[in-house]
Amino acid sequence: MALKIEKSFDVGQPVEKVWAFLSDPRKVATCVPGAQITDQVDEKTYKGTIKVKVGPSVTDYSGEVQVVRLDPQNHEIEILGKGQDVRGRGSASMKMTGKLRVLDHGGTEVTSVSEIGVVGILAQMGSRVITEVSNVMFGEFVKRFQAQLEQPAHAGESQAASADVEPIKATTVAWEAAKGLFRGKS
Amino acid sequence: MIHKTSPEVGGMGHSIKRKEDLRFIQGKGNYVDDVRLPGMVYGQLVRSPYAHARLKSVNTDKAKKLPGVLAVITGEDLAKANLAWMPTLSYDKQMVLATGKVLFQSQEVAFVVAEDRYIAADAAELVEVEYEELPVLVDPHKALDPDAPLLREDREQKNNHIFHWEVGDRQATEQVFEKAPVKASVHAFFPRCHPAPLETCGCVADFNRATGRLTVYMTSQAPHAHRTVFALVGGIPENNIRVVSPDIGGGFGNKVPVYPGYVCAIVASLTLGLPVKWIETRSENLQSTGFARDYHMTAEIAADRDGKMQALRVKTLADHGAFNAAAQPTKFPAGLFSICTGSYEYPNAFCEVDGVYTNKAPGGIAYRCSFRVTEAAYLIERVVDVLALELKMDPAELRRKNFIPAAKFPYKSSLGWTYDSGNYEAAMNLALEKIGYRQLRAEQAEKRKKGELMGIGISSFTEIVGAGPAHTFDILGIKMFDSCEIRVHPTGKAMARMGTKSQGQGHETTYAQIVAQELGIPAADVTIEEGDTDTAPYGLGTYASRSTPTSGAATAIAARKIRDKAKKIAAYLLECNENDLEWEPGKFYVKGAPTKAKTIQEIAFAAYTNIPPGLEAGLEAVDYYDPPNLTFPFGTYVCVVDIDKGTGEVKVRRFVAVDDCGNIINPMIVEGQIHGGLTEGLGIAFMQQIDYDESGNVQGGSFMDYLLPTAVETPHWETGKTCTPSPHHPFGAKGVGESPNVGSPAAFVNAVVDALSHLGVKHIDMPITPAKVWKVLQEKGVAA
Repeated sequence: MALKIEKSFDVGQPVEKVWAFLSDPRKVATCVPGAQITDQVDEKTYKGTIKVKVGPSVTDYSGEVQVVRLDPQNHEIEILGKGQDVRGRGSASMKMTGKLRVLDHGGTEVTSVSEIGVVGILAQMGSRVITEVSNVMFGEFVKRFQAQLEQPAHAGESQAASADVEPIKATTVAWEAAKGLFRGKS
Repeated sequence: MIHKTSPEVGGMGHSIKRKEDLRFIQGKGNYVDDVRLPGMVYGQLVRSPYAHARLKSVNTDKAKKLPGVLAVITGEDLAKANLAWMPTLSYDKQMVLATGKVLFQSQEVAFVVAEDRYIAADAAELVEVEYEELPVLVDPHKALDPDAPLLREDREQKNNHIFHWEVGDRQATEQVFEKAPVKASVHAFFPRCHPAPLETCGCVADFNRATGRLTVYMTSQAPHAHRTVFALVGGIPENNIRVVSPDIGGGFGNKVPVYPGYVCAIVASLTLGLPVKWIETRSENLQSTGFARDYHMTAEIAADRDGKMQALRVKTLADHGAFNAAAQPTKFPAGLFSICTGSYEYPNAFCEVDGVYTNKAPGGIAYRCSFRVTEAAYLIERVVDVLALELKMDPAELRRKNFIPAAKFPYKSSLGWTYDSGNYEAAMNLALEKIGYRQLRAEQAEKRKKGELMGIGISSFTEIVGAGPAHTFDILGIKMFDSCEIRVHPTGKAMARMGTKSQGQGHETTYAQIVAQELGIPAADVTIEEGDTDTAPYGLGTYASRSTPTSGAATAIAARKIRDKAKKIAAYLLECNENDLEWEPGKFYVKGAPTKAKTIQEIAFAAYTNIPPGLEAGLEAVDYYDPPNLTFPFGTYVCVVDIDKGTGEVKVRRFVAVDDCGNIINPMIVEGQIHGGLTEGLGIAFMQQIDYDESGNVQGGSFMDYLLPTAVETPHWETGKTCTPSPHHPFGAKGVGESPNVGSPAAFVNAVVDALSHLGVKHIDMPITPAKVWKVLQEKGVAA
């Protein structure tokens, strides 16, 4: 199952500060619900895990994240991630392109385009569910991303160290999905 | 002419209540999962998350270490015993547990056995399987492309083609098409759907090391055939295998094939010397066991300007998934699909089918269908409607003009079948009258003026059931006869056993009624037993509406053999010549002296207590019935729908089903069968599809996505009947179980298309979901 998700959000911080954060996968990972960087393989490659819970099904992906392209001039980053579920329930891959744009009032707009491929039990839930799970996860990601950038540098570090690796809750997803339905959007 | 017995006897034509329901409605049935044996352990399958992947390693160490785990079996383990592969019922083979690679999502990779079900499930998660993903083939149209991935490396033939099958006169048909003034065609996809029986598949395999006997309690529609397969595959002497098919919670073809889970449970029991239970979950059932249909069909009709049909041409691509695990008669790789000429006279016809492999679950089973008859009936009834549109002719009139006339039966079709009997126009007339066809057409014209969408759909289907005559029909070489053995006890009560197996059809009642009809022993005094291969005579089982045409016939013939012997005993008791005796259900009497009589009960007693000299004791008979032909039930269904222009929802306003299944054993059971089959047809037409995404992920793998109709969606069914007995069946019956599932999809779809035809819509593929209709409404600019 392949999905393409495009999102953008604003951060009230200068572009260089946001870039410093976005270009470090270890920092970005702390904002992804259920994700953890466990090891650095080389300058561009990291090992990590991500736990996704949908209803009774918990998928525990373990794999690699690679920074394929880093363009500090244009503030663009391209990341490739691929992982397999540790209990053999399938695999997932993601190609994410992130781009920053300076806003008039001094803030920064973050735009991301993610192409997600899911194979296995999770993919059987269908795109209706997966899209909604992605939306909820992304919403949480934005909140954490903004929160961490608003904090002083050392506080950000400490929060990153004690990163919340709890997966997103199924009940949250169900509630968000239900709200989505009533709002008449997917 | 069937002699009507008294209600007390309850022979044919009486709506006696179903004997089996007494235990079912009390929750006292005995299903496979109710079987609990001392020392029983539990199996769980590990399944592949990938649709196509190289199997790099299977590590069972962690799973084996979990306390309570007794064994973990892998494909490599089975390969050592030459059991990694098993034959399918279609001369293909399939993996029991994967070796080398996996070919569909949910394919069986390992089998864990543990002390309880929960430990088994936990241990299954600890089996570490390393896969290397391979390109996935989902679209059957791409299966034969030169760059398509090769799925079956085990075969000598290095492509994804399974079979090509054709019937009819290609050249003559093409010539007619070249000159025909009117042509109509339709591309219709009959989606992959699933029988989804209430009870999933499962078994308890119990190998007794002391006696060397293997007993398998299993969800089997064909226990004898399965016993033979186990003997041939496993090398166990057939006398040492007992298959017991207890109460079955619906089969619909899903319980005909042999599944890897059964084989794994047997292997585990042989290895451990313990009874091993394996029961599927709902998702396992939907994702890995026998699906149905998945036929991509094209039909074309050549006709003259008055609407007289001249030729039919059909081309079909059959998606069989990873293995050809269809259960069909040997000579018919596309089943009885060549019944696709339907209820019409075609001087010329040609039909061809190609089967291909894809990375999907294996199968191609007959879901409440006599081997691809559903696909055929849907296709012909759909294309006839398209021709009616082309000719701007009323679809009922077009059908009437082309029906095989009642006087022409037995009728030999241009694709080779000899239809036993039929009166299609009578059935259609009754259906049209019941629904008020003319008024509905007037109403439709009014509604169209107001921009409202209403449609009327007709389906005048012909079935072909009761496989089948031994000269043509076999499965894995075993001829498709079926059997009955009747024993009349000294007190005049009887026990009868058959080679078939009820899964909810009501055999315990209907077979008893046949015995009651033939011998006059009240149906209440006749016990029917099926499903135990140690006691029942050999037979090929219940599917394809074959029980009444084969075992039902065998029951009548066996009863008649008993009656012949009873006559001899009666003559002895009445001290007269056999030829002076007359029979009426329940007794023999002396011609002209009706008081000089002996009841069947008195005769039965004498058979054990006062045996005529020279005659064997007892009153029993067995019959193996080889039907001389198939039977051809038929009917006309008419459906009226209203479409909501705002939501695209289709509302079935009315549905009239007129069936002709020949002489009826139990009218109430027939009606129940029709209600059930129509409801399933509704699900197929509007709600169900086992779909796959481009990576081969199942998109209909649970009841969240694969929807079953409930009372909310189901309309009120109106039924009616005509009666055209089968001339060759011992009591003129034809079989009915499948007709409503075979005939109804076309009626539903024809009704929806009819509602939209004035907008230029000629066809919509099933399932016709509100989203699909809504899209059409948007495209045509009529959405509210």
